[in-house]
Order: sequence, then structure tokens, then C-alpha cells
Amino acid sequence: MKGERPRPVDGPAWEEWIRQAEDPARVADKPEALDDLLVLDLSLGHYGALLTATYLAELGAEVIKVEPPGGDPARRWGPADASVNGEGLAFLAEARNRYHITLDLGTAEGRRVLKGLAARADVLVEGYAPGHLDGLGLGYRQLRKINPRLVYVACSAWGQFGPKAKGQPAEYDLTDQALSGLLHITGAPESPPVKVGSWISAYAQAAWGSGATLAALHWRGQSGRGQMIDVTGAEALMRYLEYTLLLQHASGHTRERTGLYEIAVFPYTFVRAKDGWVFIAGYTDPNFGALCRIMDRPELTRDPRFNTTLQRTQLENEVQLRDEIQKWSVNHTADEILARVLADPGPGIVVFGPMNLPTRTLEEAHWWERGCFKRVSDPVYGELLLQMPAWRMTRTPPRLKWPCRPAGYHQDHVFQKYGGGVKKSLTRGVTGR
Amino acid sequence: MAIRKDYFEWAAREFNPARIHEKPEALRGIRVLDLSVIYFGPATADFLGELGAEVVKVEMPGQGDVTRILGNASFFWKNISVAFFCANHSKYHVGIDMHRAAGQELIRQLAARSDIVVENFKAGTLEEKFGIGYRQLREINPRLIYVANTGFGQWGPFSRGRASYDGLAQAVSGLTAITGAGDVPTKIGNYLGDWFGACMSALAALAALHWRDRTGEGQFVEMAQCEGLLRAMDWTWLYAGLTGRDRAKAGNGDHVFAPSGVYRCADGYVALVAGTDGEFKALCRFIGRPALAKDPRFETRDARRRKEHARALDLAIGAWCAGRSRAQVEARARKAGVAAAPVMTAKDQITDAHLRARRTVWEHHDPVYGPMVECGPAPKLSETPARIRWAGKPVGFHNEFVLKSILGLDDEQIRALYAEGAVGRWAEGRRGAGPPEGWKGEGVLQ
Repeated sequence: MKGERPRPVDGPAWEEWIRQAEDPARVADKPEALDDLLVLDLSLGHYGALLTATYLAELGAEVIKVEPPGGDPARRWGPADASVNGEGLAFLAEARNRYHITLDLGTAEGRRVLKGLAARADVLVEGYAPGHLDGLGLGYRQLRKINPRLVYVACSAWGQFGPKAKGQPAEYDLTDQALSGLLHITGAPESPPVKVGSWISAYAQAAWGSGATLAALHWRGQSGRGQMIDVTGAEALMRYLEYTLLLQHASGHTRERTGLYEIAVFPYTFVRAKDGWVFIAGYTDPNFGALCRIMDRPELTRDPRFNTTLQRTQLENEVQLRDEIQKWSVNHTADEILARVLADPGPGIVVFGPMNLPTRTLEEAHWWERGCFKRVSDPVYGELLLQMPAWRMTRTPPRLKWPCRPAGYHQDHVFQKYGGGVKKSLTRGVTGR
Repeated sequence: MAIRKDYFEWAAREFNPARIHEKPEALRGIRVLDLSVIYFGPATADFLGELGAEVVKVEMPGQGDVTRILGNASFFWKNISVAFFCANHSKYHVGIDMHRAAGQELIRQLAARSDIVVENFKAGTLEEKFGIGYRQLREINPRLIYVANTGFGQWGPFSRGRASYDGLAQAVSGLTAITGAGDVPTKIGNYLGDWFGACMSALAALAALHWRDRTGEGQFVEMAQCEGLLRAMDWTWLYAGLTGRDRAKAGNGDHVFAPSGVYRCADGYVALVAGTDGEFKALCRFIGRPALAKDPRFETRDARRRKEHARALDLAIGAWCAGRSRAQVEARARKAGVAAAPVMTAKDQITDAHLRARRTVWEHHDPVYGPMVECGPAPKLSETPARIRWAGKPVGFHNEFVLKSILGLDDEQIRALYAEGAVGRWAEGRRGAGPPEGWKGEGVLQ
């Protein structure tokens, strides 16, 4: 019975079928998972909160971003040598699919309008200092009185509770990476720690924040009750650190930086090829066997330094093994090595690929065919190259509708829709548009 | 308006960790069938489990998931690698051989009674090799949400024949190329592509659940770890599209905020960022260099982030940190409203009062493994807090419980499944698969 092949499914082969079912060109024909939700985005100067609302917006929620008169200071976040219409690229890249209004929450009228929106919203996302909106009468404990179904997501560096919650400074990606422990374990042991190049803690915070929001909405469907969610970028990343705490508890061993080496799995590293750096891995016995085969070094699988996973993860052996691999790899281009990897009949499989510069990644047909990137010609911001939603869903695919819009751009529309008409006092004095 | 005096007391009550186990679970009643291995897959199921779903983890009888034996000798503890537990909390463990027709039938029956299936095999494997792919399972259960995690996706030029690990995703996405400084690549210290991808895929599964709550319809959801990292590179692509250039590596600096850096202290490193004019002025005061705030080189954020200016600030801050402890720097900065944080090690975290008060450092007592300290759930939910109920278990530890309580099989049927090898437990003597030495049957559910 072992190895018996099941009866094939009627219709096209899986790859063909799933390609059609996920066809990026047909996304607009399909419904959206979250298009029954209204989300208020109060992510002033907070990238993780901004992204939390972005994920929900990509999945179909109607997101209204509330900015102070003059706009969110995050609009100026971006590299020094490029911007579009004065918008920083970090903001322009991610503040997508939203309706933009401005409200001055420092005035009674601004707060009254916000409460009116919150009374009907399903979700509110904010990134102010903990307690700030509460101080304005707009925190969860006040808003739940007017809307007990509200899911209120608060993003901050140290969280809403715990001994260090009070008096905490602003949240930055670098300090989050430090608190998470990721910074300490990235880089070479003899050098200072190295941070991940993008604002990764904000992305992690948003993935947790929006995921927890959807779980809370599922529970609300049964209980009728909303709740508050507290997410820090530091803890969001810390949860991604595998065994770090348990290793400390179990053996007293503190996980340290190991550079291009790895205490858990090896080979799993970067080496030089003829035309640049490449990543190569084959750490289980069959996969290591495959690696030795494509290097024409079958004897390495019997070498007492390398013949078991335990031996291969001894640091001194790792150094020698990496040298052996690199002796071979420097004589081949990345394309040549990949061809060998793909031609290998098994058993085992080598994981291999080049270290791409972003502009090289953009030349790969794979990502374009799958719709990971899109060039849009936007009426406000012109020609933009944007990353697309990360997920594929056959029934309710996520999508990009429009990139960011200027502060207050949708003022009239939103007040028409939710305010029963446009009040001149709001569009001029209070909102400061 | 100022922060109300009682805000933090109120928040501490709302989130009171001592009451976590008295509160309901958001995903109670949702069953996840976890057919995946290593991290990118098991972690997706684990995250749903933390939020309250019931997770049934299927492993190959005998050896089980390879993370059970990951790592060098320092990883082994109670007959298993510590690397296994972080993606396998509170699951029911069954050993089912999917190569056998009877094993495949068990998977179909479990899928018929599940809400979500998670797998991370190469594209098409479960359908073509085992007859339990999405198209087969949706026939049995049209409400099923089927989550498939891969490196490059289910289709496209790279989807056939190319396997992936997190490290590869770091490399091919371009994330490595924008991380660190200098020519030698920096391998990010954790398996970021696995964990971030798993977190994103759990999020997509929950969006699909929201749709199902509305319509009753299931669907196929996929997440590719390379695409997850591509998506998490903020302005990299927009910049390349506008300028045709690659974003330069910035080391521990930041293209947007300056000063921003990692500085050596007497007892380790500290990270410090002063991103606004106000924060910068406060920083200059507490490091005893108020004149810097009036220096035209540092007057605006645009001026401060020019390379040579940022370098000058790094030297000034570095000099001030050098003789101080991390805690002194953090406390002084906090008082001034400037973000500074110690570069924390596991040793720092495990005793940290703040992380313990938040149950981010989560101590629990497992019937098989005894006292454990792990990283607790990241998001804190006031009404339905996420939680750890028990630790990962040996291969097939809950076979009888799952086969009886979910599938309604009797002892005789279960014996027959064992006899033909469709169901199994750990192999005796196989490291990582079985219980610790001296285990006397604690935790068993019959």
C-alpha cells in the first residue's frame, strides 16, 4: 500500500488550476473578505498602526484615516533623495486604499465628530502614547460606552500595561528590534549587533494587530462584544525568536550572534559564488547528501566532522564546512549552481538562490507573473511602482485600489456619507483642510 | 489634555494576566488540522491555537517533525530539542502515515470535521501524492479554509522544483541586500521569513474565516515566504521604481531618522533614536551637549540625516553612552522623552519584570516536561486573551483521544489502524520523538 498514487483529480493539473483560480488579472471580479467593516485609522506618526490598517484595507475594509490639520507627520518619512509631491516614500508606499480626512482632536467639535464615526466603526487603530486618547475622552473605556462592539487596537513600544508602560517614549523600529532580542542575535559575534534593514517590527506589529483584530471580530460575532488589543512591535518580533527563551531556561545558554554560522542548522549560510553572494542550505542528512552530490564531494557525507546533524552544528566544524562549500562555489556562477540543484535527482534537496539587490529582484519574471509588484499611473502621484498584497485567496483576493491620497482628500465624501451632509464649519475651521 | 491619573491602573485591570485563564477564547470552536512541518506552517497553526483554536498536529509516526532534533548538543533537553516547542503549543498530536491509504482516509475524515487545514508541502504534493489536496478536501468540506505555505508560491516559474527556507527568502527578496553594512551579507539571526510568513498566513486564514462567517464559503489561501519578505521592505520598491537605484545599506542608521544608532555601553549595547526636533533637543540636553541643538548642521531632521552630520552625532552619543550602563542610558533618555532601549539578550528578557508582568515571558508547568519558560503570545486581548495551555508533546501522544473524540473510532478500530501502520506513536529510542526519561504516563488522555 505504501506509495500508492491516488486517483488524479478531474480537470486541469493542480498548477494550472490554481494559477487560474488565483489569476492576478481577475482579482477585481471577486468579492472582498472584509468589505463589511469600517476601520478608523488614527496612526499619527506610527508606522505599525498605519500598516495594521493597511492590511485590513487590502483585505477589503473601508478605512478612514484621520489626520490633524496639516497632515500626519509620517507623510514626511522617506529617504532624503526622493519624494513625490512632497510625500515621503515610506508613507506613500503603505498608506493605501484609504479615505483621508482631517480633524482637530484638540477641539470639542473635532472630538464630537470622531465619536460619531467611532459609534459606527467596527475597528479603531491608534498609535498614540498610551493614555493619550483616553485623556481626550476618546480612549477605549469611553468609546466602548457608545459602541460596545468596537475592537480598539492600540500600538505602542512598551504596551498599555506593565511596569514600564507609564511614561514611555515614542516607538521606533530600531528600539523595538533591540527590545525583541532580534538585534542581539543578528550580526557577527566580534562586531556590534546589526538591525534588519527595513522597519520590520512595524510589519510584525501590524500582522499581529490585524490578525488579533480578526480573531476579536469572530468572537464578536458570537458574543456581540468588542474589546481592546494591545500590541507592541518589540513583542511582535520577540515571538519570532524560536527557542531563544526556552534554551535559556533549559540550559542556561544565552543565544548569541553567530554571523554566517548557525547553532541550530548547518549548512544554512551565505557563500561567495563567481558572480556574487549566494545562499545555500542542506542541513538534514538527505539534504546534506544532495549538497555534497552537486559539489561532487560525496566523501564529505562520511567525514567524521560532518556526518551527522550534531557534528555539522559544532561551530568549529561549521567554519570548515563553509570553507569547503565556498572553495567550490567561487568557481561557479549562481545560475550554474541553480541549474545543478534543479537537475539533481535526489534523494534530498538543496535550497539555493542568489543574494539579490532589489533592482535584480525586480528583473525576475516570477514575481511579476504572480502580481507581487505593480506599476500604477496614479492621477495624484503619477507613475509609481508598488508592492502588492502578500496573500493569494481564491474567493476573496486582497487588492490595491489606490495609493495614498493627500490629507483631507476625502473630507466631503466622508462627511456626506457619515455626517448627513457637509458642514462648512467642519470643512474649514475645525478640520483645517 | 493630559493622561488621566488612573489610566494605567485601568489598563492593568483590563488586561490582568492573572485572569487570562478565566476568560473566553476568541477562536473557541474552530478546529485547525495542521499537516505541516518545521516552522513555516506549524507556526501558522500555533498562532491560531494561541487565539483559542483547537489544533490537531499530524506527524509521521516514528520520528515526527524534524524540529524535534534541530540543533547541536546544547539544544537537547528532556530527550528533545528545545527548538520544537515554539511552534507547537497546546496542540493535539497524532501520528498518521499519509503514505498509506488508511492514513489518507483519516486525514479526509479529520478535514471533514475541521475549519482550517494548514500545510507547507511543495506545491501540489498533497493532491498528487496523497489525494488530500484542496480540490479533494473541498469536495468533502466546502466550508474548509485551506492554507498552503510555500517558499515561492503554488505557481509561477520558481514554484516547481525549488525548495525554500527562510534564509533563501531573505536572500532572493532583496532584504539581505538592504540589511547591515559593507560587502559581507548579514544573515538575520532568526528565521524571519518563516515566522513573519506564518503570522501573515494566520492573518489571511482569519480574513477567510470572516468571509466564511458571512457567507459559509471556504477557500484556498496561500502565502509564500519570499513574497512575505518582499512585502515587508517599506519604500524599497517605490524608490527603485522612481530612481532606478537600489536603496543603500544603512547599517544601524536610518534613512529617515537621525540620530539613530546602536551604542556601546559598559554592560552591552543600547539602541537610541531621536526622530523629531523635540526629541533631538531633549537628547542634546541630557547628554550635556545643548550647543548641538543650535548647530546649523543639526537644526532640522534633513540636516541631521546627512551622512557626515549623522556620523558626528553618533560620535557624541557614543561617547556619552560609553561609560554608562544600559539601564542608566535608558532611564535618562526616558526621563527626557527620548526612545532608548537596551539590546536585550535572552538572559535579560527571562528575568525582565515588565515582560513577565505582561506574560510575554510565559512560565508554565507542563505535565510531561515540567516547568517551562517560553515566549508568550504577542498581542494582548482584553476580553479573549491569547494563551499557552500546554507544551508540545511526543509524536502520536494524543492518538487515542483524537481518534475517539473527533472521529468516534472505538478501541478495536484504533488497534487495527496501529496494526497496519496507518497510525503510530514515537519510535522507541528515537531522539526527540518520545517522552523524557522517567516519564510515567503523565498527561495521557485515553
